[in-house]
Amino acid sequence: MNDIWTNRLSEYLDGELDSAEQAALEAHLATCGACYATLGELKHVVARAKALPDTPPVKDLWAGIRAGITPAQAAVTARPPVRPSARRFAFSVPQLLAASIALALLSGGGVWIASRPQATKAPDTVLLPPSREAAVRQVVWTRNTDAAIADLQTALTQNETKLDTATVRIVRQNLAIIDRAITDARVALQKDPGNAYLNLHLADTMRRKVELLRRVNAMAART
Amino acid sequence: MPQQVLEDTLTADSIAADTALATSGDASAFERLYRTHVSRVHTLVRRMLDADEADDVTQDVFIRAWQKLSTFRGESAFGTWLHRLAVNVVLARRKSVGIARGRFVADDQPLNEAAGKPHTPELSMDFEEALSRLPEGARQVFVLHDVEGYRHEEIARMLGIVPGTSKSQLHHARMALRRHLDR
Repeated sequence: MNDIWTNRLSEYLDGELDSAEQAALEAHLATCGACYATLGELKHVVARAKALPDTPPVKDLWAGIRAGITPAQAAVTARPPVRPSARRFAFSVPQLLAASIALALLSGGGVWIASRPQATKAPDTVLLPPSREAAVRQVVWTRNTDAAIADLQTALTQNETKLDTATVRIVRQNLAIIDRAITDARVALQKDPGNAYLNLHLADTMRRKVELLRRVNAMAART
Repeated sequence: MPQQVLEDTLTADSIAADTALATSGDASAFERLYRTHVSRVHTLVRRMLDADEADDVTQDVFIRAWQKLSTFRGESAFGTWLHRLAVNVVLARRKSVGIARGRFVADDQPLNEAAGKPHTPELSMDFEEALSRLPEGARQVFVLHDVEGYRHEEIARMLGIVPGTSKSQLHHARMALRRHLDR
């Protein structure tokens, strides 16, 4: 089966033979069952390779990465391993609501702090700023996120009949709180468009709103 | 907007937001990026190198990504940028450990031995395991071409070989792996 054409089968499969070679190989395939069968197997190998799944590491690697990017704070902030799959929907509705309230309070406080003329200190989560170019990208991002939030809120309107009325009421109250925080951040940004912290703060608040809406919609879909 | 399209859009937007936040030093945003992309990076590293190196090299990839975030201009998706960075880290590791001996093989026999005896039930192994047993050169060419979608010219530049060698290695790898399709 190891004839001169066998070693050209991959090139044929990948479309890398010139037209004369391709015609010659196809003529050979018409008469050589072994090469024809091998070609079929190689096609399956290629298809299998493209379908190979990604798998997460056995252990969580974040603690080591965190230590690598913030060596001085590693001992204080290192956290126990968290499995990615367990993280995705790990929050209950009450937890989300509590988080959104806390977010709104922090948002208002953050805007107030950032808006003060003498305010210069960044929040604790901002560690080692490698660049200040993010603010520009945030403006672009918030436009897209506004549209995404509108779609999610439409979906929530359709889904809310699946949730109990108390939950819907609390969700909407807290979304309103977050909206006020977003509005405050935008107003502050109009006065100080170049404020990197405010840009980041707005993006983070909007992202958290998106996450809240997604999770509530997902919960409604599961009920 | 269909639900899947909406989900994809939100995911992309969320990654874009986290990338911007991480670029400005937000470690929490970077952790979210890590959790989104770690499976892809770790799998690439594990397939390209030995499995026992995968954790260390994956950590190195993300630490370098953090250090180089300021060079990410957004022309491509963050995942694409990170993936290319991971390939570069793997290739640098490959050079630094000096595993040049026997990297590329000239005929099928070593590949057949490395990937296991064909059609022997007691020695059967799955496709991933067979892939991991290929000689390094053939394995890296196969992963880069058939799994990751790079072209031979790109692979040749990355690995410091000629395109013909890349094609030859790919064919040898495929020939060895075809025996493990159904396991």
